[in-house]
Amino acid sequence: MEPGTGLAMSTPKRLLLLYCSFFRITALVVGGGLAMLPVIEEIFVVKRKLMTRDELLDMTALTQTVPGIIAVNSAVYIGMKVAGVPGALAAVAGAVTPPFTVILIIASLFPHLNPHNRYLLGAFAGIRACVTGMILVTGYRMFRRTVKNRLECAVVLIFFVLAIMKVSPALLILSAIPFGWAYVWWQARRLERAGKVEGETAGAEPADVGKEGRP
Amino acid sequence: MSHYVVLFLQFCKFSVLCFGGGYMLIPLLTAEFVDREQVLTMDEFGNLLSVAQVTPGPVGLNTATYVGFVNGGFWGSLAASLGLIVPTLLIGCSAAAGIDHWKDRFVVRGMLKGTRLAAVALIMFAVTIFFGMSIFTSTIPWEAFGSLFRLERPVLPDGFGISPSGVLICGTVIVLMLRTKLPSTALLLGSAAAGALLSVFL
Repeated sequence: MEPGTGLAMSTPKRLLLLYCSFFRITALVVGGGLAMLPVIEEIFVVKRKLMTRDELLDMTALTQTVPGIIAVNSAVYIGMKVAGVPGALAAVAGAVTPPFTVILIIASLFPHLNPHNRYLLGAFAGIRACVTGMILVTGYRMFRRTVKNRLECAVVLIFFVLAIMKVSPALLILSAIPFGWAYVWWQARRLERAGKVEGETAGAEPADVGKEGRP
Repeated sequence: MSHYVVLFLQFCKFSVLCFGGGYMLIPLLTAEFVDREQVLTMDEFGNLLSVAQVTPGPVGLNTATYVGFVNGGFWGSLAASLGLIVPTLLIGCSAAAGIDHWKDRFVVRGMLKGTRLAAVALIMFAVTIFFGMSIFTSTIPWEAFGSLFRLERPVLPDGFGISPSGVLICGTVIVLMLRTKLPSTALLLGSAAAGALLSVFL
């Protein structure tokens, strides 16, 4: 059975395709999130022509900005695009089935999370060290992408110290939202003013504005 | 029954707060289940996350399923996974309609800027949590650093030290990630083998 491509595809076939594709993606791709992007592109853009490459790129940006697990976000948005709300449900169901089943099996085979075997303990310590490195590199890349000037760097450091002082992470994220509004508003106003009295305050204007364009 | 509802709602909360990918779950989960409810020790959480990392599938979903299982078996897993998914579905189905008008609005732009900065800080915090489980032999004693401000010599608690194999593996992984394009599967499996081998010598 070879389902059609593009608009010729019927809804049930689209739902089946969504379920099977996302099942395959989360069952086979270790690491999740962005690692699944090439597979998604191959299936939905190249083979089935259900969306364009630009649409996929827009969606990738969006799945990283809305809250939630990136893999589930991608499933929801691609499902919506291909077959509406039922599509989103089918894609998410497909994405969730493999990890859910596999982890359930592992968790019931491995009930006490404290292994006693020396080699197994060593292997776990190795993986933890590896994950430490991976999070460190991810954090470093995120820092480079997000933090654009000294003020933002100071804000990150304040949040970091507050987190160490056991302020609840949920509270930190929620308090970051009004801060973000105030900051964006302040920045827009400052740019506006800089535009009005250009030249006069050129020396006094902090160098931050120029750094905005830095990659 | 109400236990599962609470678990579901907890994961709904995590899902809504999870800006910036699956690693953001680490500080949220440790604050809730290690520090507050104490259903898991930090070591157990570390092992759980290791299993979630090496198992295929998104780390966030794997971790949620596992934490749910520890909290209430099969139904706990189901409640946790659903909790992670339902808010995403609701946000996604209502937002996908107007993607284009969405991103440049002031309200959204400010929210994203703020939450991203917080996300960077919280991922840095997740790194320190993991330092305590890999390159150090126990949780980082932040209280001891407080005495530095009083110009006293910090007193480190017993059992706090540096783990040579942890430093070695972590350092190698960082260099490999920055210099090569090795897939994370290779890094994880290699580290597991290296850890098992090094446990014989160190």
